[in-house]
Amino acid sequence: MKKPARASATGGPVVSRRGLLFGAAAAGGLAVGSVALAGCSSAADATGGTGSAPAAGRDIVDLSKSVAFYGDGPQAGIVTPPQRHTVFMTFDLTSSSATELQVLLARWSSAIAQLTQGKTIGQVEPSRDSAVPDDTGEAFGLEPASLTVTVGLGPNVFSEERGLAARRPALLRDLRALTADNLDPALTGGDLSVQACADDPQVAYHAVHDLARIAKETGVASTKWAVLGFGRASAGVGQETPRNLQGFKDGTRNITEPADLDAFVWVTDGPAWQHGGSFQVVRKIQMHMENWDTNPVGVQNAVIGRHKQSGAPLSGTDEFDTPDFTKTDDEGTPVIPPTSHLAMAAFENNGGRKILRRGYNYTDGINQYGFLDAGLLFVSYQNDPAAFEDLQAKMGASDALTEYISHIGSAVFFVPPAPAEGSYLAEGMFA
Amino acid sequence: MHLVRPRSTLARTSGLAATAALTVALAACSSTSSTSSTESTSASTSASAGTGAAASAGAAPVSNGAAQVAITLTGDDSGSCVLDSSTAPAGPVTFTVTNESATSITEVELLSDNRILGEKENLAPGLPPVTFTVTLGGGDYQVYCPGAGTEQVPFTVTGDSAPQASGGVSAVLAEGTTGYAAYVVGVVDGMVQAVSTLKEAIDAGDLDKAKADYALARPYYERIESDIEGFVMPGFEPTDPAGSLDYLIDMRASNLDEKVGWHGLHAIERDLFQRGSITDETKALAAELVTNVMTLDEVAKTLTYKPEDLANGAAGLLEEVQSGKITGEEEKYSHLDLVDFFGNVEGAEQAFAFLAPGLKQIDPELTEQVTNQFATVKALLDTYRDPSQAGGFQLYTDELKATAAPQLSKAVQALQEPLSKIAEKVATAN
Repeated sequence: MKKPARASATGGPVVSRRGLLFGAAAAGGLAVGSVALAGCSSAADATGGTGSAPAAGRDIVDLSKSVAFYGDGPQAGIVTPPQRHTVFMTFDLTSSSATELQVLLARWSSAIAQLTQGKTIGQVEPSRDSAVPDDTGEAFGLEPASLTVTVGLGPNVFSEERGLAARRPALLRDLRALTADNLDPALTGGDLSVQACADDPQVAYHAVHDLARIAKETGVASTKWAVLGFGRASAGVGQETPRNLQGFKDGTRNITEPADLDAFVWVTDGPAWQHGGSFQVVRKIQMHMENWDTNPVGVQNAVIGRHKQSGAPLSGTDEFDTPDFTKTDDEGTPVIPPTSHLAMAAFENNGGRKILRRGYNYTDGINQYGFLDAGLLFVSYQNDPAAFEDLQAKMGASDALTEYISHIGSAVFFVPPAPAEGSYLAEGMFA
Repeated sequence: MHLVRPRSTLARTSGLAATAALTVALAACSSTSSTSSTESTSASTSASAGTGAAASAGAAPVSNGAAQVAITLTGDDSGSCVLDSSTAPAGPVTFTVTNESATSITEVELLSDNRILGEKENLAPGLPPVTFTVTLGGGDYQVYCPGAGTEQVPFTVTGDSAPQASGGVSAVLAEGTTGYAAYVVGVVDGMVQAVSTLKEAIDAGDLDKAKADYALARPYYERIESDIEGFVMPGFEPTDPAGSLDYLIDMRASNLDEKVGWHGLHAIERDLFQRGSITDETKALAAELVTNVMTLDEVAKTLTYKPEDLANGAAGLLEEVQSGKITGEEEKYSHLDLVDFFGNVEGAEQAFAFLAPGLKQIDPELTEQVTNQFATVKALLDTYRDPSQAGGFQLYTDELKATAAPQLSKAVQALQEPLSKIAEKVATAN
């Protein structure tokens, strides 16, 4: 077992020893895994400040890092370099009062501000024996672990009875039925979404656990469905491209440039409170693991359109080579099959449209039929849910990958921008 | 199914000191994990706050017949709680609480000797100011802001001390506990009748009537099973199952003590619903049950309750719902779980109802919220009524459970969270 990397004469990453050691203690094999990855890469640089990416190619978990919740731009947890773990939960509103929703969003905002700094949301052990602890306590003593909690508003929030119909973001509506949908109602929809991501799974779970309590305590919302994700399946700026459970690099062509984010991710029109917002599409995608695992690698590569190990497009040799969809073999057959996942999803073949992906792998153990129950918690951000719909409608019909996956859960939310300090999420919606 | 009721002894000064120590530890912890660069805003604006909790010297101005005190919460010094006046003349005092930027503080209380006189919850940055008004006599008070750097801010009222409250909230609550004690006795009286009727059917060997009478006998105990701490036969230690009337009346097969064996309603349930036969053993169980319930009737008359016992008891009954009824474990053979469910909810609502007149004076919003959530749960249960079944509810079969359980459990969850807050309020009432 290698020792954790830390500041060294050879210019290794500068991270707090405490954070790393603590990480090793708290997350066990996880931290070791990250060190192994670091060992494989060559680039070396200091880690950046709060919320910034680790140096290119490096993948260090520093649990002492924190990410600001308050701000004047988008919410954290969208372009924040993906943390190692997620707990995603949706809620149904149980109150039709806009004022009560306001209280919930303010209580959640206040709590998230505390949690992202590694603090409790109230007393873990109240001084009065008759008091119920406000904070459930399982993250007490743990570090912030780059926790972000991103809150979304579902279409039903903007109802007539709540008096919010006129505030509905212009493009927010339920997703249309899509080819190859196999949705379970129990895993579909929701009025509010909470996406908690952190480098320590216990920190992420604690955040959702305690926000769910506030939802019940205020009488405003009840839990609907949830997914626990691990091993992020999309890279952020400066991160190595991680792999999904099919063993392929996922997110090589994910968008990172500010110009792309401005063009495809952020809402820039409509009322001011929506500016810097985005639409969050969430899909629970079950993978038919056993069928995939027993496929010859040539078939796997052809389905994805990339080489399994390097991640290079079948038309190239390096992961980041631009795919050449016109390249053919001696017999005139395209090297990247047109039905491959790469070809189907590429912006070149979709009118230049791009989405920001921020997915995680998940597993629910073994299902009732005896199969591995696992897949991808697909999360994407875009400034129009139609961007996802159009893409998925096409892929559902023709993508070679469709045979190996099922979209079993689905929801769409408007993610308002971050609140300023002293304010709360979507405050402008109630003005 | 033994319910452990937390001891309701108040931790007074020492407990509050412990809280302060905890806060210091937290602050120390956060300052060492300093790679964060996100906390600069509050630090740079904290000059005015000083200790993090403060009150200015002047007496509060009086308008609209009440002294006006503003409490401002900010994120300075990781949570500060500042009063614009540290004193007020005796009489009505209105506190207006504004949370400007304190993410660590969600509630404010006015205390006198650790008794809560008034409070506001659900405070969060950005929400409009809220007010509460209390009538105060001369003396020393504390504004308690849990989560602030300094949690207690002294507040002084000048003038005559308040007449000792004879009809204060605690007197109203005490009256409620007396009423509740009588309610428990009444329920056990009814149960004596119901189990006697069950015994007659069993003695007569009438299986169908015995099944129906079993269903009718169940809800009584379910209404009061949170009070089992007191259900001990005279002369036995509380830890001895042989002297536990709860064990002898309501024990399920899954939790048996080998030495004491199986007694009571669920042993009879097995005979009637699983074995489908009445034997001499069944008759012996029924006779013993009647004797034990009659003993319970005597014991119940000796029990007294504190207000927090009622609150914890109501919470305990809802825990029973979530752990035993939603899962269908309680009535494994008869599937009468929804009958028991309704009994638990009725009992919890009764305990709450006896607290409500006092609680309303302490926290009207919470009283209303809990009242409404009880109504929601009962309205949902009503949709599962079936007059053709003994006990009046549909049988809780696996099929019904699959569709009904998530909805039912969530409705009870929405009741549990607010209800769990009542014990502290009534235990600290003035």
